[in-house]
Amino acid sequence: MAESSTSIRTSSRARTGTKKKKANQLPFGVILFTGMIAFGIYLATISAKLALFWILGGCFGFILQKSRFCFTASMRDPYLTGSTSVTRAVLIAFAVTTIGFTAIKYGAYIKGLPIPGQGYIAPISLATVVGAFMFGIGMVIAGGCASGTLMRVGEGFGMQILSLFFFVIGSLWGAHDYGWWKLNFMITGKKIFLPDILGWGGAVAVQLLVIAVLYIAADKWENRKLNADEND
Amino acid sequence: MAKEVTLDCMGEACPVPLIKTENALKKLALGDVLVVQIDHSCAMKNVPEWARKEGHNVEIEEVDDGEWEVFIEKTK
Amino acid sequence: MDIKNNKFYQMWFKNAWTYVAGAVLLSLFQIVTLATTNDPWGVSGPFTNWGAWLYRAIGGSVDKWYYFSSKGAQATLAGGFLKDPGSIRNLGVIVGALLAALLASQFKFKKIKSLKQVVAAILGGLLMGYGARIAAGCNIGALYSGIASLSLSGWVFAVFLFLGAMVGSKLLVKYFM
Repeated sequence: MAESSTSIRTSSRARTGTKKKKANQLPFGVILFTGMIAFGIYLATISAKLALFWILGGCFGFILQKSRFCFTASMRDPYLTGSTSVTRAVLIAFAVTTIGFTAIKYGAYIKGLPIPGQGYIAPISLATVVGAFMFGIGMVIAGGCASGTLMRVGEGFGMQILSLFFFVIGSLWGAHDYGWWKLNFMITGKKIFLPDILGWGGAVAVQLLVIAVLYIAADKWENRKLNADEND
Repeated sequence: MAKEVTLDCMGEACPVPLIKTENALKKLALGDVLVVQIDHSCAMKNVPEWARKEGHNVEIEEVDDGEWEVFIEKTK
Repeated sequence: MDIKNNKFYQMWFKNAWTYVAGAVLLSLFQIVTLATTNDPWGVSGPFTNWGAWLYRAIGGSVDKWYYFSSKGAQATLAGGFLKDPGSIRNLGVIVGALLAALLASQFKFKKIKSLKQVVAAILGGLLMGYGARIAAGCNIGALYSGIASLSLSGWVFAVFLFLGAMVGSKLLVKYFM
């Protein structure tokens, strides 16, 4: 950012002369990176799978932090601040991942191989509804969802460290009650894999269409607020 | 005479800095500058983004490791 | 060696990336995850193991619980944290984020500021933990991976997640700000 004479900023620190010298955490970052590599190598001696998961996790964490990607914001901001930039980014993620996943799944399907990831086709029941609702409330109050909480723990947020701890406790509590939910609700829930109903092409087309419609709606929503303010 | 108001949002969780900024800016007069002090990585993105969308002049400066000051000049 | 003014450093390590860039890159790694691990990305599953291990540490046992009754679940519990891929991946997310912050020289430890934050973190954490279990996943496993896997459950989760977020927002502004 250029320092112009008409700049509105003269940071308070610059005025009081307490501005710290920056870029001094880089060495720690490099040390951490070396540590990460070392840990990865160590994991590889136990199993390649562990090393792979370590690398994938590290990449996800890095990407989340750099882009400040937050699913909580995607759901909360349209309501709370009228902004849908994160919402639209999440929709893009849904779309791109759908295409990639479907390519992989279809590829396995036509070869007669077992389709990977089908364990994530969950039965739909009251448990899904209640659980999602609870999660929605929780993630906004806690200031981060599951991935967001992990990211913020890495960034040094004490609040999310506490949140993570209780996320774990809540998970155990949920696991404890899981049998009850399964018996009373999940067992009658239906697993609906869209290609089973709409065919592979149809499912992807419909899903991408829905995502596109939501994207346009989100775009209009953000600008609607702006237009409303202008008309005041 | 344009005044400068400082809003301390250090240690606040998402999305508190943005909400506080919106409320504070409402109380300012045209030409005033709001200085939002934040240490939240999400806020260093969503506060300037919101303020720019609203049409204000925005500048952001990193004042320390993980600390920023967002300067918002109310122009509307 | 003036790294901070290097354009490459600025673009990739110092500056924040756009949300869209994040979306595309996350998608890329989601796809790689499905291709290489045979399952999409999930985050909340391992937390039940962490809970079980903590519980064991204070003398409890989950061995009679339905949730942990499968052979796979028992084996994972027996193997411990370091041998659980999901746990390692979650640890990776934490460390990856830490790395990103350090390389940008933006790491700062942010202490909890008020009792409101404590209550919010506890309540929010519990709700997320419990909710994710009975919904069979969190914003990653149930929402992101579910939808991308062409499962209707993902969309159902999305609708009620959104509704919950609205309620959460109201509560946040009213009690936790």
